[in-house]
Amino acid sequence: MRVGNRMKENTSTRFINFIKNNLVLMAIVVLVVVTAIVQPKFLSAANLTNVMRQLWPLPFIALGMTFVIIGGFIDLSVVGMISLSGVVTVALIDPLGQVGAILCGILLGAMMGYLNGTILTACGAMIQAEVLFITFGMSSIYTAIALLLTNAETLRIARCIKPYTIFTALGSGTVGIVPIVLIVFAVILTIMHLFYKKTLAGRNISLMGGNKEAAFLTGCNVKRSMRLVYTISGIMSAMGAISLVSRVTTATATSGTGYETNAILCVVVGGTTLKGGKGSVLRTMLGVALVVLLGNCMNMLGLSTYMQTVMRGAVLVIAIWLDNRKEL
Amino acid sequence: MNVKTIAQKGWKIISKQGAVLAILALMIMMLFFDTNFYTAYNWLDMLRSAAILEIVAFGVTVAVICGGCDLSVGGTLSFGSIVAVMLINAGMPIWLAFVAAIIGGALVGFINGFLVVHQRTEPFIITLGMGMLLKGLCQVLTDAHPLTSLIPDFMKISNSKLFGSVPLLVVYMLVLFAAFYWLMRFTSFGRNCYAIGGNYEVAKYSGIKVIPTKWTAFIISGVTASMAGVLLASRMNTGSSVYGDSTGMLVNCGVVIGGTSFAGGVGGIFESFIGLFVIQMLTNCMNMLGLDSYFQKLFEGILIVMIISLDCFSRKRKRERV
Repeated sequence: MRVGNRMKENTSTRFINFIKNNLVLMAIVVLVVVTAIVQPKFLSAANLTNVMRQLWPLPFIALGMTFVIIGGFIDLSVVGMISLSGVVTVALIDPLGQVGAILCGILLGAMMGYLNGTILTACGAMIQAEVLFITFGMSSIYTAIALLLTNAETLRIARCIKPYTIFTALGSGTVGIVPIVLIVFAVILTIMHLFYKKTLAGRNISLMGGNKEAAFLTGCNVKRSMRLVYTISGIMSAMGAISLVSRVTTATATSGTGYETNAILCVVVGGTTLKGGKGSVLRTMLGVALVVLLGNCMNMLGLSTYMQTVMRGAVLVIAIWLDNRKEL
Repeated sequence: MNVKTIAQKGWKIISKQGAVLAILALMIMMLFFDTNFYTAYNWLDMLRSAAILEIVAFGVTVAVICGGCDLSVGGTLSFGSIVAVMLINAGMPIWLAFVAAIIGGALVGFINGFLVVHQRTEPFIITLGMGMLLKGLCQVLTDAHPLTSLIPDFMKISNSKLFGSVPLLVVYMLVLFAAFYWLMRFTSFGRNCYAIGGNYEVAKYSGIKVIPTKWTAFIISGVTASMAGVLLASRMNTGSSVYGDSTGMLVNCGVVIGGTSFAGGVGGIFESFIGLFVIQMLTNCMNMLGLDSYFQKLFEGILIVMIISLDCFSRKRKRERV
């Protein structure tokens, strides 16, 4: 009797622990079930392919942001980096050809990220506030450069003379029902996950996020790790920009607006703490899934887009609050 | 020797106040161009354009001195403007609508304070999220359209002029400046704020009621933001959800540019006044010189990065010396 009772307790506590650890997964399941009951169209193939096409570039940005947040920092400059690298990529299709344009775009993203990291390490920014404002300033610099380059005009891929097949493939191509961009992203995600889990540089990022002093004293090159996370964020922003440009087939100097808060939202909802040190790349993807599904479900239920902004803000505030309560 | 020490002292004061240096540099630069920069009208206009952001900044400064930060002021500003215009259009007397908007701002500050002070979350991201929430709320309330007030008297609050030349907005700003200066300099609340920002634990063990004080600071920040929102709505005769889009970041940057540090415990209302004025002056100078708005954005970004980097760098050097 007693033994049975204990076993029952064990399974129930284990169940509760499982739910506690996988709150996001539960939320996704509940959301999907509820919406599917209220609006059966939600589970139709048309809607699901639509979701899979519409969610770019958020996963890329969130992936880059995850590394920055695990490192204990934050990056608001993704707005400027997405805008500038998107604009430059499209502008370079004609002179360099599509492969050259994509490579140049990614290289530019890496350079911008490296510049952010260098400025931050040079002035010794340590607390989140300083990082937040310096990256915000960098963001407006990048956006301003993009505005100056394009004169605030919209660049269209369709106007390019040279072929732009890669962009078309990324934007609307599919293998079976799986979009090509999803396959590309899956490969990058696997590489980044292995990089974070298996390499010394990846582990150093986590170490730096946990405690900078301790990381420095154990011989981890904190400055190099810092530059590394920002470079990753820059590269991911550039890739995100390319996926965005392919999807909407235009590039403007303000196309990155709003992605910084959304990316932070995905990372935090996924369970990476803003204090740094803890987190996982794969959990962020769950966060992305939740945020995107939330938006789609609200569309399906006929709520206005403004309500979605309210919802996102509320989710962000509540997620940070709950995350903080875990630590208390 | 004597001259050297004086020069050193002077350099110390100026290097502490990067913003004053920036103002001097801009003023000297403008001497070389033939513009209307040095006219009373232009200076009054600069003050009037800066007034809204200055009023927001006074409240934010209190929160920053306490070691917090409030990025939700942009949302609060829009929220205040919309609430005021909606209530006035619904037939409420103007003063009551004003009070209602301020109570709304205080409520936002109260929630911020609960999350940041009572629950001890990091203020930066959570207030950013709060700003996003408020912007969404404003859009839901107005359906993202600007909302025009139907009562002409409402416009008089901000648009009248004292003695026929001084805009009332400037007067409000100066009155609030004096009030906040007094609050932070000569009351126990203000001094407690500095103590809390300087070292939270020490302040706590010295018997300062840290949680209520810091909480009040956030409420003050919300109140000033919604007050500025109502004044802006009165100036434009319209409430809109886009008023606060860049306010949060700009005001917090301005506060830091003035010399109030995010580490807390350093700075003051006068410093913030100067900091925000630098931003306004830079915009004014660039307008005078006919630079296009993209260049203005570029220079604004460079200014923010430079001054905050310098702030960081000086703190780093101080750390290393210890």
